[in-house]
Amino acid sequence: MELKTKLSVLADAAKYDASCASSGSKRERPKGGIGNTEGMGICHSYTPDGRCISLLKLLLTNVCIWDCSYCVNRRSSNVRRARFKPEEVVRLTIDFYKRNYIEGLFLSSGIIQNADYTMEQLVLVAKKLREEENFGGYIHLKAVPGASEVLLKQAGKYADRLSANIEMPVQEDLDKLAPEKTIGEIEDTMGTLRAEIDESRERARADKKSARPAGAGETFAGAGQSTQLVVGASRSSDSVILKKAEELYKKFKLRRVYYSAFSPAEFTSPELSRTPTPPMREHRLYEADWLIRHYGFSASEITAQIADGNLDLTKDPKLAWALAHRQLFPVDVNRASRSLLLRVPGIGVRNVDRIVKIRRFHRIGLADLVRLKVSMNRAKWFVVTADHNPDVFNLDKTDLMTRFRRPAEQLSLFAPGPATVVMGEI
Amino acid sequence: MIYADPGDSFAEWREAARGLLARGVRPDEVVWSGGGQAGLFGNAAADDDAAPCGTFRVPAEFLKLARAVACYESVERWGLLYRLLYRIAGGRRHLLEIESDEDMRCARLMEKAVNRDVHKFHAFVRFREIEVEGEKVFAAWHEPQHFTVEKAVPFFVRRFGDMRFSIFTPKLCAHWDLEELKFSPGVERVALADDTTEDFWLTYYRAIFNPFRLKVGAMKKEMPVRHWRTLPEARLINELIEEAGRV
Repeated sequence: MELKTKLSVLADAAKYDASCASSGSKRERPKGGIGNTEGMGICHSYTPDGRCISLLKLLLTNVCIWDCSYCVNRRSSNVRRARFKPEEVVRLTIDFYKRNYIEGLFLSSGIIQNADYTMEQLVLVAKKLREEENFGGYIHLKAVPGASEVLLKQAGKYADRLSANIEMPVQEDLDKLAPEKTIGEIEDTMGTLRAEIDESRERARADKKSARPAGAGETFAGAGQSTQLVVGASRSSDSVILKKAEELYKKFKLRRVYYSAFSPAEFTSPELSRTPTPPMREHRLYEADWLIRHYGFSASEITAQIADGNLDLTKDPKLAWALAHRQLFPVDVNRASRSLLLRVPGIGVRNVDRIVKIRRFHRIGLADLVRLKVSMNRAKWFVVTADHNPDVFNLDKTDLMTRFRRPAEQLSLFAPGPATVVMGEI
Repeated sequence: MIYADPGDSFAEWREAARGLLARGVRPDEVVWSGGGQAGLFGNAAADDDAAPCGTFRVPAEFLKLARAVACYESVERWGLLYRLLYRIAGGRRHLLEIESDEDMRCARLMEKAVNRDVHKFHAFVRFREIEVEGEKVFAAWHEPQHFTVEKAVPFFVRRFGDMRFSIFTPKLCAHWDLEELKFSPGVERVALADDTTEDFWLTYYRAIFNPFRLKVGAMKKEMPVRHWRTLPEARLINELIEEAGRV
């Protein structure tokens, strides 16, 4: 098969993995080599689906011995199959990188023979890039659940990020949809990665303290680990998903959990959901995830007020929480603690920090908030400022809810994707 | 009225601003111009030998902000910077922390636009491998919105230090010969020979696009249409949108 055809087949097969991050890792260009990472990710292009291209995202092969019913590459699917030789992936990565198309490589694979063999093949590509091509750019490798510790250790030596995808929040879902996978095995892999990452950080700290030069090759997955959940293929609710995500963040110190909305085209299993997941559901999950990671919310706080276990599609989870906790408002922007300011709808983390700084020098009025580009449509009902804020008197009105409600049919038009959520503040 | 024209040079603005401040000139007494308008009013501030060159202590953060704002493509930047300087020197030492101040907000917006332009510079330069006098070199054509070439190009040296490259832009051109980074005046256009790797890149772009989720607005927000003419993959965009409409 021609290389261009393989590229087409194996990029097409890789696009369901939502992660494209290239940040969080620092590496200087190796002597005589090419490429570096400076900590900040760069999105080199965008496709009309609104997603960014930061990494060359490929499967080594889309041949797979597993039969996960939500996956296009499952054994029983009749998609066209292809397989790269490791040196072909290396060539494409270097050629693309030199032209500044990408930050690096994100390599995953269908399961060939077994977990170890598959992991070995992925590691081989990364090894060639680092050792033969002197490549200093970003590498994200899939950590195959169940792969041996030795192989995972090698993977982390070459890769900036590793990810083992959990796919479903509970074992019951996996039993129905991905019979070869177990939460236990996937979490074991995450546990191994966490131990290695912690140890590597510890080493770096000790090196810094003793002023020893940091060992270049010793960093294990400098950009940490992440995972992905498929949303809407099983019946599990947002409450279950968010509880699992929070648990994973705590247990394995994941950098990110990605959520991928399932769409049932071409899938035949009777266990699968028949209706496509609304993109807004994925969007709300990212917002809730953001609240957990940056705003001091717990998953249970976010899900306590939702009746059927799913996030309200018509308003963001922070606004929904505030409306359900009106006794805590209004918040005085000139006096409230940082943690309370973080709870005000429409004020993001950066603006909270700005407000805390500004109020040391003068009392904050409505005009200050407007100039800070606080989202006043949401914030105005919940804050007291140095001057008169007439809207705050509506806080206790029973019809306040309706002021945020959008006509239901507008939903399908209004569907920002994860790319915009990831950047934004809520 | 005093007229000052630092062109597009931060160093010259700094020189002029120092002189004006030393004489206690109020911001509303100065008309700033720049970017090719020199000679229209003369250069009163810089020509004035009487201006003492005293030093004024301003927070380092202000210089950082000013250097970024200086790259912003608008003549208004010089007046704004002088106003900020005048107010800080006049006793408002904490002005930099008052992000809701009107002048600060303007300056931060300009700084943000410049930093974004640098970021997009790093993202959207597309090299072609071409042969010049029997030697393989990399060359790119890019159109930055602000005066960001000098700010943006060191990144490429750190990353591609073992590649000879040139980046051509209308504002300024940069050349790396493996040892030294040199700049030459901007050019209107360059024609670069084809590079076959571009076909592979277009193949990838087409394949990684998911036609089931069309979000053209989100794409345009991050990859503004004015950059499309320098991005080889952009020529596929309309075709992909049309195909997706038929899915």
